[in-house]
Amino acid sequence: MTGHDVVFVLVGLLTAGGAVLTVTSKNLMHAALFFAVTLGGIAGVFLPLAADFLALVQIVVYVGAVAVLFMFGLMLTRAPIGREALDGQNRGLAMAVAGGLFVVLSTLVIGAFGDLPTAEVTGPRIDDLGIAIFADWVLPFEVLSMLLLAALIGAIVLARRETGESGEELTVTRIEMAQDRDPDALEREQAALTSGSGGDGEEHA
Amino acid sequence: MQIDFIAILPEIILTVTALLVLAADLALRGDAKQFVNPLAGLGTVAAIIATVALWGSERVTFGTMYVVDDFAVLFKLLFLGTLLAILAISWRYIAEHRFFQGEYYFLLLTSFIGMLLMPSSRDLIMLFIALETVSVPAFVMVGMRKRDLYSSESALKFFLLGVLAAALMLFGMSMVYGFAGTTDLVGIAAAISGETASVPLLLGSVMLVLVGFGFKISAVPFHFWAPDTYSGAPMPVAAMLAVASKAAGFAGLVVVAFIAFEPVADVWGPMLGVLAVLTMTVGNLIALQQRDLIRLLAYSSVAQAGYILIPFGLARTGPGAAVVNAAAIEAVVFYLIAYAVMNVGAFAVAIAVERRTGLRSIADYAGLSGRSPLLAMGMTVFLLSLGGAPLTVGLWAKFAILEAIAVDITLFGIVLAGFLVVNSVIAFFYYLKVVRTVWMDEAPAGLPQLQPGFNLSAVVVVLMVGTLVLGVLPGLVTDFSSVISIVAAG
Amino acid sequence: MEQPLWVPVLQAVVVFAYYLLITAVLIWAERRVVARMQSRLGPNRVGPFGILQTLVDGAKMFFKEDITPGMVNKVIYNLAPLVGVIAGFLVVAVIPIGGEVTLFGETFTLVVADLSIGVLWILALSSIHVYSVFLAGWASNSPYPLLGGIRSSAQMISYEIAQGLAVASVVIYAGSLRVSDIVAAQSGPGFIDGVPAWYAIPLFPAFLVFVIGMVAEAGRPPFDLAEAEGELVGGFNTEYSGMRFGMFMLAEFMSVVTMSAIVVPLFLGGPAGPTFGLPDSVAWVMPILWFFLKMVGFIFFFILLRGAMPRYRYDKLMNLGWKVLIPVALVWTLVTATFVLIEEAGGLPAGTRLGLAVAAAVILLVLLFGGRASAPDTRSVAKAPDITAGRTPALDEPGSADLQATDHQEVAP
Repeated sequence: MTGHDVVFVLVGLLTAGGAVLTVTSKNLMHAALFFAVTLGGIAGVFLPLAADFLALVQIVVYVGAVAVLFMFGLMLTRAPIGREALDGQNRGLAMAVAGGLFVVLSTLVIGAFGDLPTAEVTGPRIDDLGIAIFADWVLPFEVLSMLLLAALIGAIVLARRETGESGEELTVTRIEMAQDRDPDALEREQAALTSGSGGDGEEHA
Repeated sequence: MQIDFIAILPEIILTVTALLVLAADLALRGDAKQFVNPLAGLGTVAAIIATVALWGSERVTFGTMYVVDDFAVLFKLLFLGTLLAILAISWRYIAEHRFFQGEYYFLLLTSFIGMLLMPSSRDLIMLFIALETVSVPAFVMVGMRKRDLYSSESALKFFLLGVLAAALMLFGMSMVYGFAGTTDLVGIAAAISGETASVPLLLGSVMLVLVGFGFKISAVPFHFWAPDTYSGAPMPVAAMLAVASKAAGFAGLVVVAFIAFEPVADVWGPMLGVLAVLTMTVGNLIALQQRDLIRLLAYSSVAQAGYILIPFGLARTGPGAAVVNAAAIEAVVFYLIAYAVMNVGAFAVAIAVERRTGLRSIADYAGLSGRSPLLAMGMTVFLLSLGGAPLTVGLWAKFAILEAIAVDITLFGIVLAGFLVVNSVIAFFYYLKVVRTVWMDEAPAGLPQLQPGFNLSAVVVVLMVGTLVLGVLPGLVTDFSSVISIVAAG
Repeated sequence: MEQPLWVPVLQAVVVFAYYLLITAVLIWAERRVVARMQSRLGPNRVGPFGILQTLVDGAKMFFKEDITPGMVNKVIYNLAPLVGVIAGFLVVAVIPIGGEVTLFGETFTLVVADLSIGVLWILALSSIHVYSVFLAGWASNSPYPLLGGIRSSAQMISYEIAQGLAVASVVIYAGSLRVSDIVAAQSGPGFIDGVPAWYAIPLFPAFLVFVIGMVAEAGRPPFDLAEAEGELVGGFNTEYSGMRFGMFMLAEFMSVVTMSAIVVPLFLGGPAGPTFGLPDSVAWVMPILWFFLKMVGFIFFFILLRGAMPRYRYDKLMNLGWKVLIPVALVWTLVTATFVLIEEAGGLPAGTRLGLAVAAAVILLVLLFGGRASAPDTRSVAKAPDITAGRTPALDEPGSADLQATDHQEVAP
């Protein structure tokens, strides 16, 4: 066990513990906090790999922004203090699936990479990282910026109230057989439809 | 590093158009907002021109990350053509329903940018980002009918399952990277051939990557989102998901499977073959019971995905594999083109009917022949073609698959062919049921005459003509799709 | 260079003690200065000029009853102030307090850890600091703290972006994330002879954004919306008392000091300054002195702001952050990057560079503030519903009424 190994094990325990508590917490806010701990732990995993730049970026972006926004959303939607029923009925099944997946994957990973020799890590230089992102990988980078813009606008679209929308009135698309319907209702509906969007100028275009 | 801007010109044009649309939406007020649609259309036409100009050339840029070959150009033209059709059928639909129009078209265009990138990507990261660029705007577009609970539910379902699939895929990709030490597809192929090919973890991660694509193309164990999402989404979005997004998934699958994972084709080939059998059988059996036309089309598109998966099941590695794999790719491309033509058409007719009446159960199509002969005609042609009737492109599409099977006949290939034939018969049953309703049943009282607008009529007519002409002269497309061979660029 | 273990330990102790001491003095100085501005005397009983007032207050806080309200979320309620103090302390690790000092045959660099990613460290910790604020707000289980917590965490996150972008232009210009490299990069000759090459000059917009951002980040007047007494009773720390309240107070004042200490190496050349030809045996004091003076200048600026400015309205604060500071910082990052690239490609003559920079700055300022002045933003006034800004003049209130009692014992005659 070198110093790196010790750090790695500790950080790994922290991360794994945070992850387990994230899904087992009964309180939504606690779950979000443990999630932040997990993300911080992942930042810690980068440290023994000599990738301290990545570690801090992970903290700034994930712990400092993503997790905070999570909790922000929770607070704005009045996350209650104390226990609450976050349990689904599928808890046992989910646990079995997750546990099975863990066993299978860790067996496979150890089988595949377990006997590889350990090597001294040298972290990447920050300027190499910058050149990689902005020169070699510039296309994915730019596409990603477009993707994020779309996500931003999508979030606004979903959050914004439509003009004239009361916000209360919700409808459900009806799927039913025509003959099940009472004929008067159909007529009324048609009247409403034609008056609502009547003469909407199909000749347009 | 030199960047070949000509090679990414279609994407650049589409990006600029998307941003212009957003800016135009800001500037326009009220009813004028709908004119962002022709703006988007113009951009699409420009992108089509730029893409056509790339035909026949072979360009490699951004290192080896991005390749424009005939395979990619054909796919790009497929996407852009679909985009044009969807823009045409969106115009009135979106304008009438008081959606956020500028945002809708922006998201639509962004999604198509991702699709254009897909067949050209030769790198796992690029592929993943392209796939997400297709998906993320789609999540939002599905939920755009905000006043309808169905829409919200379907968006949420789509989103959660989509994110799960993306996570699985990313996990698989990260492990593939662990094996290969590179994300370059050709590099991966080189690294995983030989003895590493039998490591269980590698095969597991290959499976995970394929699961991600399986979700995108709604192959059977991963299809649960499709019917709900299609019926809850705005109808043009459903058309986009059923056609373009699915084709993008297949494009990515072709690239990943036949370039990066080619050395392990013996493993994923049979698996995808089994998936194909499951997908078409389950899709068709459930489609039989549907009363809602959109759900019927959704399950039919699941089944169609099963047909398209058959050629993947033929893939193999070793001597003589190249011929089989090339034939398989060819069949996939041809089927996708045919599928796009007929399925967009079917959705266009459904939109025309739903927009006017708000009705969408199959029974509401009774007597459509009297109410709008054009739409009835179109629906008939499209559905028959989806079923694979003679004189339509659908027949040739299925024929192309059989042809791929015939290149090197194996027992598995014969089984697949058998399932294809049986399923086509089942599918005919429900397609014909709709056709019978359209022509034979009497229209219930009170249903109005349908006069689809110019755009919709044009789309229906063009696609109908396309279906029939290709049905007579399939060579128009096969001539192109047979010359393509996917360029690996190593 | 192998050092015995006690050297880094001593470094750490000295640096932390240094900043803690400054914080203590700051609390007293602020009350004195603000009192002066309001024609009062301020604390003047304990020790010469009342300088020991902070000590006494600290002792008082320590012995006060520490009330934990019944419905709070205990763990997080107790954790929140600790997070704030710890984050505040850790920032100090990468900030130098002077140049190099040679004592007892060992060379001390007067910084705890000169990380290769020092600047990122500062940003990361200030993003952790946010947790303390909104966890306190949430865990208190009470409406006013919750509002205060949401408000101030939104404020901090928003201004963090602007600050990060401002720092980005510094990093681009210096070509390093290491604080000592940034300081070294500012040591050369400036644009014009006689003017130092401090980044505050070529990167003036970034400097401006950073300074405004640091006031908001520290939650100080005029951006102390978190504890707007008029609206929120006391903000996120309403339910806290005793030592835990003291920790919040300490964290707030600590962040004033650390922010002032950060801006010096980033924009004002760090400990650089003339040594007036002093002999080497004495000259080592000068960098420490210069650093101290520059930092105290900023601390004084903080105090003056508090005495002079009324509190901002919340929506205006957000508008300023998102619609002015972030675009300015973003554009300036772009401009900086362009200039650095031009420089690498051969560079422009100094005169052209200066002219371009001035022109760009003028255009930016005209665009941002010129249009605003001529066309008052009627929309935001019409929209602003019930958020009335606290108009209370900034009294001598580090948050506690008890503290004021000692001041008011003797008002100016």
